[in-house]
Amino acid sequence: MTQEQEALFAGEGSTEKAGFVIRAVDVRKVYRMGESETHALRGASLDVHRGEYLSIMGPSGSGKTTFFNMIGGLDKPTSGKVYIDQVDIAQLDPFELAWLRCRKVGYVFQTFNLIQVMTCLENVMLPMAFAGLDDEEAREKAIGILERVGLKERALHKPAEMSGGQQQRVAIARSLANSPDIILADEPTGNLDLKTGEEIINLFDRLRKELGVTIISATHDLKMLRASDRIVWIEDGRITRVSTPEEMNIAVSEVH
Amino acid sequence: MEKIGKQVHLGFRRALRIAMQGIRIRFGRSLVTISGVVLGIAFLMSNLTGQIIQKAVASERDQRQTATLMLTMVQSEVGAIAGKPIAVIVNGKLSPVEEKLLLLLAPAKLQRDTAAGAALLLVLGDAREAPASLAALTAAMSQRVVLDAVRDRRYMPGAADVRREVFFGEELEQQEKELREKAIQQSFRTRWIIVVSLLVTVIGVSNALLMSVTERFREIGTMKCLGALSQFIRMLFLIESSVLGMAGSLIGTLIGGLLSFVVYGASYQFGLVMESMPFGLWIVSGLASVVAGTLLSVLAAIYPATFAARMVPASALRSTV
Ligand SMILES: Nc1ncnc2c1ncn2[C@@H]1O[C@H](COP(=O)(O)OP(=O)(O)O)[C@@H](O)[C@H]1O
Ligand SMILES: [Mg+2]
Repeated sequence: MTQEQEALFAGEGSTEKAGFVIRAVDVRKVYRMGESETHALRGASLDVHRGEYLSIMGPSGSGKTTFFNMIGGLDKPTSGKVYIDQVDIAQLDPFELAWLRCRKVGYVFQTFNLIQVMTCLENVMLPMAFAGLDDEEAREKAIGILERVGLKERALHKPAEMSGGQQQRVAIARSLANSPDIILADEPTGNLDLKTGEEIINLFDRLRKELGVTIISATHDLKMLRASDRIVWIEDGRITRVSTPEEMNIAVSEVH
Repeated sequence: MEKIGKQVHLGFRRALRIAMQGIRIRFGRSLVTISGVVLGIAFLMSNLTGQIIQKAVASERDQRQTATLMLTMVQSEVGAIAGKPIAVIVNGKLSPVEEKLLLLLAPAKLQRDTAAGAALLLVLGDAREAPASLAALTAAMSQRVVLDAVRDRRYMPGAADVRREVFFGEELEQQEKELREKAIQQSFRTRWIIVVSLLVTVIGVSNALLMSVTERFREIGTMKCLGALSQFIRMLFLIESSVLGMAGSLIGTLIGGLLSFVVYGASYQFGLVMESMPFGLWIVSGLASVVAGTLLSVLAAIYPATFAARMVPASALRSTV
């Protein structure tokens, strides 16, 4: 690995570690199912800057979701460390982990994962309830967020009554509920058509600019990379490359 | 940098509201979950009802039989009873058999306060002391035949001028012993049937709840991502299962109880069933089966709810049931 590349891996301001909102250090994950072992991650390290838009790129089965689960505090690595805001999340008890998931990180999934029995508004209000907000306050705040994603007038609809793109926007609104520092989006456009997917990307881009929130988004769609600051390439459980969209353009034009 | 805090458990009321909303909106699915409870509890309640009716009818029949036997003894003393003057002393509490005997004796001319001209004196009731009026009554009798319902009533031998003294008591004791043996056999069978129907209930209920939890792993994973504590998830499912369990048990109890009542009522005679049925006991066992069904539902939900609540969010999210 060249020095330049190392600098990229560590992010531009590698001297000021306090600026990293997430640090993953040599994270490994092995899934054991009876006799067979799957090495989903084989030592992934990554530093994420506060406020950046990071895309994680890799083919299906390369370990993107696993990596997300590790850096989002949704699962424990087999070895290696994950720091969120300099806190080693392996040291947290269940109450602190729930607190972290509730306020520090917002999650967006490929399959939206809205609670089907609740209206959009209630879906957005749910994390606020978990954070201890009372109903009045939560409702007002949730309507504000739905307005931000352009769905205020759909607030009382059930997820099933809405299109995929709309559902994903509700999910994004929900992820913003407790003003998190980080949004983790795992293939957020994977179930959407091209145009709707683009709308979601634009929404992320706008949210980052307006709210200064860090966005980490996994994808295997090259078109999603345009808005990102850095692109992390993951292959067979290893981070193989970190690049910028500009480099990407070069690479793409070279191919042509 | 903001320090990491500790998530606070949302109270029972919030969990109740979310659980009720889920039940209401997933109404169709809730009905399926409930049906396991309904079936199990209906089975239990119909068995209980059957046992109650069978027992009641059997003892009613036995009592009638005994009363008929006593009537025969009276008849053997006095011949046909129609219009015959028969004196009766009720000394203490009447047994059901004695009450039935009095009904059977209705065609005779029963006299309570005088034995004058009576062919027979019946001493009924369970008291051990001599009735105050005994001497006066027997003195006024022409034939002085006394039938006594209690075998070792001490005062009888002392009544010197009684011509003949017959004890129903011996017959009654014999009958009672047979009944007791029969009851022991029956109560063994009853217990067995109740155990089996409880087992059926447990299987029906736990299967239903296991399904309703496992098919919502993804929802549980999502809630944990949003900051739900394991305690909250577990509470949510326990509330849901107790509400569904109670509703299902109520429906099951009504269906099982009424259906069984109709079937047994038709196979014996409704009159016999209505007359002998201990309705208080029936209602109590209905309540018991509602309580049992609710408790079983909660018990059956503890394992899947705890399992789901403890799941790592990542694996809960991965599941595609
Ligand atoms: N819970 C699990 N149990 C067993 N194997 C798993 C589990 N989760 C992921 N894997 C395996 O780990 C590898 C990486 O999966 P994943 O992280 O989902 O990849 P991606 O999101 O990039 O498609 C795959 O081979 C997958 O089959
Ligand atoms: Mg994936």
